[in-house]
Amino acid sequence: MASSNTLTQQQKPERSLSPWQIARKKFLHNKLAMISTVFIFIVTALSFAAPFLAPFLSPIPDVSRVNIGSMNIPPNGEHILGTDKSGRDVLTRLFYGGRISLLVGFSATLMVITLGTLVGSIAGFFGGLVDNILMRFTDFVLNFPFLVFVIVLNTILRDTIDGVSVLILVIGVLSWGGVARLVRSKVLAEKENEYVLAALSIGCSPFKVIRKHLLPNVMSTIIVQATLIFASMIVVESALSYLGFGVPQSVPSWGNMLSSANEPDVLQGKPWIWMPPALILTLTILSINFIGEGLKDALNPKSLR
Amino acid sequence: MKKNKSLFWLFALILVLSAFLAACGGDDSSTATEDPKEKETEADTEDATEGEPQTGGTLVYGIDAPPEGLFSSAFYGIATDAEVIDLFDEPLINYNENLEPVPNVASWETEDNKAFTFTFEEGVKWHNGEELTVNDWVFALETIADPDYDGPRYTNVQTIEGAEAFRAGEADSISGIEVVSDYEIKITFDEARVNNLTNLWAYPLPESVLGDVPVAEMASSEWVITTPIGIGPFKVDKIVQGESVELTKFDEYWNGDVNLDKIVLRVIDNSSVVGALQNGDVDMISLQPVSGPEVEPLENVEVITYPGLSYYYVGIKLGKFDNESQTIVEENPKYQDKQLRQAMMYALNRQEWVDAFFFGYANVVNAPVPSSHWNAADNSELNTYEYDPEKAKTLLDEAGYVDQNDDGFREDPNGDEFVVKFSHYATGNPTFESRAQAITQYWEAVGIKSELEMVEVNLYYEMVEKDDPSIETFFGGWGTGADPDPSGLWKADQLWNYPRYNNPEADQLLDDALDIEIVGTDQAKRAELYVEWQKIVNEDVPMLYIAELEEIVALNNRVGGVEYDVSGQNSPAEWFVTE
Amino acid sequence: MLKYTIRRLLGMIPMLILISIVVFSLAKLMPGDSLSGEIDPNNTDPQYIAEMREKLGYNEPLPVQYFNWITGFVQGDFGKSTKYKRPAFDVIMEKVPNTLFLGVMSLIITYILAFMMGMYSGRKPYTLGDNAIAGINYIMLAIPSFVAAVFAIYFFAFNLNWFPFGGSVDILVETGSAEYYLSRLHHVLLPALVLGAMSTASYTQFLRNDIIENSRKDFVRTARAKGTPMKKIYNIHILRNSIIPLVTFLGFDFAALIGGAIITETIFTYPGIGMLFLDSVTTRDYPTLMALTMLLSFLTLAGNLIADLLYGVVDPRIRLE
Repeated sequence: MASSNTLTQQQKPERSLSPWQIARKKFLHNKLAMISTVFIFIVTALSFAAPFLAPFLSPIPDVSRVNIGSMNIPPNGEHILGTDKSGRDVLTRLFYGGRISLLVGFSATLMVITLGTLVGSIAGFFGGLVDNILMRFTDFVLNFPFLVFVIVLNTILRDTIDGVSVLILVIGVLSWGGVARLVRSKVLAEKENEYVLAALSIGCSPFKVIRKHLLPNVMSTIIVQATLIFASMIVVESALSYLGFGVPQSVPSWGNMLSSANEPDVLQGKPWIWMPPALILTLTILSINFIGEGLKDALNPKSLR
Repeated sequence: MKKNKSLFWLFALILVLSAFLAACGGDDSSTATEDPKEKETEADTEDATEGEPQTGGTLVYGIDAPPEGLFSSAFYGIATDAEVIDLFDEPLINYNENLEPVPNVASWETEDNKAFTFTFEEGVKWHNGEELTVNDWVFALETIADPDYDGPRYTNVQTIEGAEAFRAGEADSISGIEVVSDYEIKITFDEARVNNLTNLWAYPLPESVLGDVPVAEMASSEWVITTPIGIGPFKVDKIVQGESVELTKFDEYWNGDVNLDKIVLRVIDNSSVVGALQNGDVDMISLQPVSGPEVEPLENVEVITYPGLSYYYVGIKLGKFDNESQTIVEENPKYQDKQLRQAMMYALNRQEWVDAFFFGYANVVNAPVPSSHWNAADNSELNTYEYDPEKAKTLLDEAGYVDQNDDGFREDPNGDEFVVKFSHYATGNPTFESRAQAITQYWEAVGIKSELEMVEVNLYYEMVEKDDPSIETFFGGWGTGADPDPSGLWKADQLWNYPRYNNPEADQLLDDALDIEIVGTDQAKRAELYVEWQKIVNEDVPMLYIAELEEIVALNNRVGGVEYDVSGQNSPAEWFVTE
Repeated sequence: MLKYTIRRLLGMIPMLILISIVVFSLAKLMPGDSLSGEIDPNNTDPQYIAEMREKLGYNEPLPVQYFNWITGFVQGDFGKSTKYKRPAFDVIMEKVPNTLFLGVMSLIITYILAFMMGMYSGRKPYTLGDNAIAGINYIMLAIPSFVAAVFAIYFFAFNLNWFPFGGSVDILVETGSAEYYLSRLHHVLLPALVLGAMSTASYTQFLRNDIIENSRKDFVRTARAKGTPMKKIYNIHILRNSIIPLVTFLGFDFAALIGGAIITETIFTYPGIGMLFLDSVTTRDYPTLMALTMLLSFLTLAGNLIADLLYGVVDPRIRLE
């Protein structure tokens, strides 16, 4: 519908919109997705500006210090969301926590998408033995019970190097299988098209064909998938941290902040400590899901919205 | 069970070690392993409910971590299992509120502290109806000394004459054990010691049911896991692994009447303790300090505290230990300066720290002997190291630790960068990091640059024990059990002297205090020597003494007859509930 | 079909062997052994630790250790739990019924809820009710299960006191009585609901869309033309068509439940194998840890296999060869 509207409105119908432009237009018209985008943008901005904002947010801006004098203060004018059991300002910590949670989610997603696309496109394009071997391997990875192996691997590795990178690495390495499968099937379908044959016959190298012709065509699928993975990676990080198997406790992340809900007195009597991270986590995931839906709609040429 | 699992592990590992005496690895370790919750017949305590004991009724007893399920005194490994065992079994010897041994089933006589003659009560019945005889004790001792025995109690049998030979397979029986009759037994130790009796393993094992089970399989036999029996006032009825144990009154209990019909022990997760107490779902449960302030306001519950037998400290590695030769072989130069260590002590606001992280259920200590021990030095005899950052700074200045490059932190006397590395164990419990960090912040406040490292708890003690170079100062805790002798944790030839404190003068005092030639059986004389020793370690501060914990118990108002002292709770036979 | 099934089953064997090697290597790589945690409880002397290490075979070469472990494993001997001092097999088997119960309950709740909501939404799309259901669905999809669990405990167990906050059964009731089973049910409901929330949402959505799509199909028009009541059309004709694809999710559910159970059981302190697993990681109870990891991997494999097979059954075009 959107595209036909634009056609009638435009003075020069011969210059039609590119698919990306159409998608952007559609996305901009999707209210839910736009609100979500703005929300995510604000959360990200606040999180990354945390060190600069902290002095304005609370009288004790340093979230790495333990402040024995100001522990467990309920929300008040000074501490908008109160302080936690170590006397750290909850609101300030929430922003610092966002940095880690978003960073872990984003990096892991990047890794998953890169690995998955690489394996999937190579397997799909070359087929035969290569495909067979790569897909066997993918099956192998997919068949691991994810959480079980993340926990075991992370326990082994977390003390060796910086805990945050280890977590990213571990969840990245264990979750690219689905993307690989998806990309492979898309590439398989796509490579039957004549233009691929044409490109190959005029002497393009296979990798160039993959990069220049196949990937752009599966890009929309990958982008939608990436959004959903981003959401699930944030969940994985926070769930693991909550259970005590994620990023080290010294690093503020939403999951780590939530893990204080494990303590009976906090869960029952001091909801201001655990509710903010719980809510912001849920809202973030919700927003990312909406964005994902919006993207899916926008990138789907058949959708009417 | 989430973090509470880890939280619990902390407790299993550090806190409730009071369940066991910190026995050591040396050949003639003089420390004893005793169960802290020794029942006791006399009482000097706070009582929850006044009034006449009533009979009948069910008491719900909570524990905040699931037992491992090794319900046998000889095999259990963690304190929660011990709590269960305490409800259905009894030791032959009890401890009174001064932690002195008193007869329970067995009374004893000795002339030289080397050979003891024990006399058993007659008519004591096992829950399966068999009568308890000294043979059951012999059976227990031989089981523990068996080469196939895979539990941790051998130290408590080792000192019996001939135990080593039996374990090595050179003898068919332990030569120091001589059965006189069914009710009389003579036990001879390899040498005379003041604390032979407290160190001795004093729980029998039911030979009637375990006699045919090979020692290697005993721990996994049904008589340990599913249908354990003992000689206590209650017998085990039903065990739901990891969740609950149901006990009913044992009608043939040897020592007087039993008030309650039933005790139901259930595992209550930490997160649920407060709610469970409030709803009356549980009548009685040990609390962790963090729950105390939540429970105190409850109207239907009374919170009782009694002195514990464990203390926390910050150890300072002064050297390296060689386990082969059992000697300290190397000195670590970094912390040799006594003034530095004292300054680190003065810099700590221990009272504030304890209040913040233990909610008032702990007291600052100044020497490594819990104050309820008879040999604890009074604070008036010790330097109490009141929080005094100025004094700390002066001491550091005097010792040559001054800030030479204006970075805000002191350099060492050679002008090199000086960073104190502090290690603390990490479990899932986030407060550990906070409390550890608080300590480093105190040090930084007087200009000592500090670095905190949280070490996974499974690795922590191994690293501390092996003098891993990454461990410089470290947080730790010890439970001391009934025998107050600190030799196993302090002498230079002991593996568990983690700071590697090496002071021959101090060691000599400890030796003298155990030497029957010097002190005889005069406890006052022993105490004097121990106080002397505490003055030395208080001055030397090879570890920064932090706090001793209180045990906290919550009792529903309907519960009565429960009493506590430093040796633990009284016999469950005396407990009752009112409706 | 049979040939395909057998082929897939055989294909699992090398996979399992590979996984077993990975599991074994991981366990060996984990820092500390079960005894290093035990050193401290102070009931232990160093000599005892050394002896135990020897006894447990920790000092043998790795390939030998692997071989010993795997041969035992195949024969059902999972080794002796270092924590419970009993065969790991027994320790695990004790917890299996609880997890099974939780899983089944969660599936039942999922299906009931999804059917109710999905059918309502499918019949009355774009109404207020449909939108409300869609809203709930979005939230259920977005809220991480552990957050949902924490909220559930906070509201339903603590504040409203409707459900117990943990455990699998009330200890005070007689085993085997009607009360006992009711109590078990009461304990499992909340965790099962949380565990099933995510699939409930996706099923509901799937069912709704499928019903809407089907209702535009010819056979519906035919049925209506013949005068079949709408209720019957929806409840029988359409539903039958929509259920079939739903069935194929069962296998995936299976695998998803495993991961979910670890989190849910732990938070609700529901004594099942998920909680046992985390426990064995923190206490370095390797025999239990390894056996559980193998078991969970096997179940995941089986789940995926079932999913593929069901897929083939439902849609013959998918069948390979």
